[in-house]
Amino acid sequence: MIKIKNIKKTYTKASVSTPVLRGISLSIQRGEYVAIMGTSGTGKSTLMNILGCLDKPTNGQLELDGVDVHGLDDDALSALRNKKIGFVFQQFFLLERTTALDNVLLPLIYAEKYPVDAVKRAKKTLVSVGLEDRMEYLASELSGGEQQRVAIARALINDPDVILADEPTGNLDSKSTNEVLEIFSRLNQEGRTIVVVTHDRAVAEHAQRILELKDGQIINSVANSKLKNSSDH
Amino acid sequence: MAIGVAAVVVMVSMGRGIQKRVLDMIHDMGTNLIVVNAGHITLVGGRERQSAIVTTLRPGDSDAIQDHCAFVTEVAPETSRKMNVQWESENLMTDVVGVTPAAFQVRNIKIEMGRYFDSAENDTARRVALVGSVIVEKLFNAEDPVGHRIRIGQAPFEVVGVMKAKGVDANGVDRDDRILIPIKTAMRRLVRTTYIQKIHIQVAHSGHLQRAEKEIRELLRERHRLWDKPDDFTIQNQATLVQTEKESTRTLTLLVASVAAISLLVGGIGILAVMLTACRERRREIGLRRAVGARRRDIRTQFLLESLIIAGLGGFFGAALGMLSAFLASKVGGWPAIESWDAIGLGLILSAIVGLIFGIYPASKAAALEPIEALRAE
Repeated sequence: MIKIKNIKKTYTKASVSTPVLRGISLSIQRGEYVAIMGTSGTGKSTLMNILGCLDKPTNGQLELDGVDVHGLDDDALSALRNKKIGFVFQQFFLLERTTALDNVLLPLIYAEKYPVDAVKRAKKTLVSVGLEDRMEYLASELSGGEQQRVAIARALINDPDVILADEPTGNLDSKSTNEVLEIFSRLNQEGRTIVVVTHDRAVAEHAQRILELKDGQIINSVANSKLKNSSDH
Repeated sequence: MAIGVAAVVVMVSMGRGIQKRVLDMIHDMGTNLIVVNAGHITLVGGRERQSAIVTTLRPGDSDAIQDHCAFVTEVAPETSRKMNVQWESENLMTDVVGVTPAAFQVRNIKIEMGRYFDSAENDTARRVALVGSVIVEKLFNAEDPVGHRIRIGQAPFEVVGVMKAKGVDANGVDRDDRILIPIKTAMRRLVRTTYIQKIHIQVAHSGHLQRAEKEIRELLRERHRLWDKPDDFTIQNQATLVQTEKESTRTLTLLVASVAAISLLVGGIGILAVMLTACRERRREIGLRRAVGARRRDIRTQFLLESLIIAGLGGFFGAALGMLSAFLASKVGGWPAIESWDAIGLGLILSAIVGLIFGIYPASKAAALEPIEALRAE
C-alpha cells in the first residue's frame, strides 16, 4: 500500500540546514493499522505529511498504491490526496461556520465528479461515527470529540485507501479519545489502512504495529500483538 | 465601491438626460434657428440669464433682418412680461409673450384646441390669446377655455386656442405656463413698450447658419450705430446653443466621472485589503482544502468568486444609490438625468471588473500557498 525508501527531509532557513528525517524506509500493507511514535521533534509529523503528499521529501522515494509520487505534478497530487488519502488532524480543521454535514461533503466538491448521492453518503458516514443527531449543527457548536468525529467522517467520505491521523486525540479528553480510537479500530477491522502519528503510547498500543522514531530515524518497529522486535526497515 | 457604481449610474443617466435634452431642444426650438437676444446673455448654473433690461432691440430690427438678410426665411420677434391674469375669481401670475404668427412655425408651437391667431389679428392688435396647458389647469380648473374672456393686467382678452404641452425648457422655464398674444397687441395695449427682447430667425439650411449670423450681426450693428462699441445684443445659433448646453453639463459629468473613477479605485483597494486579510486569516482553511483535494486553481477560483461577490454587493447597493441620486438630480436639482437599466448594468459590470482585477492578486497568493505551510499557520 505505502512504500518509502530512504526518505530524507532537511529544512533550510537562513542558510542553516536542519535535518528532520535522516533516511527512513518502511512499507505499510493494505489493511494494516500502524502507529508512528516518538517524542516531540522526532520528525513523525513531517513523515506523515510526506506520506500524505502534503510535503515533499528532500530525498527518497514514496510509492502510494503502486504510484511513484515523485513524478506527479501539483494537480495530480491534489487528485491523489482527494481519492486515496483521508486526513485526521489534531486541530480537527473544520470550517467553523459550516454544518457538520457540509464539512463532511467538502472533499466531494473537489472530486473528479460530484456524486449524485453525495448528501446521502455524507449522512451515512456521519451516522457511522455516531453523529446522526448532529448533522445540521455548526462545527463551532460541537464538542471536541464530536468535531474530531466529523473530521473522521470527512476523511472517510471519499472511501480512501488510507487514513492518516496526526495526533488525533491530542486535543481530546479521555472519553472522546476512547471513542475516536474505537472508531479507528472498527475501521481497521473493516479493512481500512490506518496510520496514526502519536506521542502517546496508550494511543499507539491500539495499532497492530508501532514504529518508534528518534532523531529522524526509525529505531524500533514492534508488532503490537506479538510484542517483539522486528527489523523490516 | 457602492459610491463608484452610484457615480457611474448617475453619470450614464446624466449622459442620457443631456442627450435627450439636446434633442428636445432642437425639436422644440425648431430647426436651423438663430436667436437674437437684447443685451448680454450670461449662463448662471447652466441657465440663460439676461444681465439687464435693454431697450435697443426694436421691431424695425426684425423687419430689417427679414428684408435684407438673404439666408433668412422667417423672422419671429418676441416680447414678454410677467403679468397677473384673471378668469372669474381665479387669478395667477404668468409670462405673457407677444409674438407674430411666424413664431408658430419657427418655434414649433402646436395647437391642442381652438386655433392660432393670424396676421390680421396681429396687425389690428386684437385682444386674443393662446394659453398653455398649465394655465388651463390652474386658471380654468382644466375646463375648456376656448371662447372664454380673461383679463391680462386690466385688459380683457379672448382665449382662441390652447397650445400643446411642451414641458420645461433648458433654462428651466415651463413653456406650458404662459400665454401668447399678438406682439402688436402686447406692445400697444399691454406693456406699452417700443422695444422687443428677442428675435427668432429661421434660415433655409443649417449650412447657412454661420453666414446668416454674420449678416445679422453686421446689419444690427449698423442699425444700432455701434461702430466701435461692443454688441448690445447676443446672437446664438442652434449649433452654439446646443454646444453651450453640452458644455454647461460637461463639467458636472466630468466631476461625476472623476468621483466614479476614484471611488471604484478606492473600492478596488478595499477589496484588495479585505481579500488579502482573508487570505492571511484563512490559511488553515486553504491548507485543509488543499489537503482534501483542492487544486491551486480551485482556491484561486474560490477567492476570485468571493471578491466578485463583495464587489457585486457593493455594485448592487451602488446601483440602487445611483438610481436614487439620478432621480433626485433630475427632480430636485433640475439636472437632466434619465434612470436607465443599462446604466445599472454598466455599473454592475464595472464593479465586477474591479472585483476581478483587485481580486486576482489575493486569489493568486492564496492559490500559491503550499498545503503544509497553510496548515501550519497560526
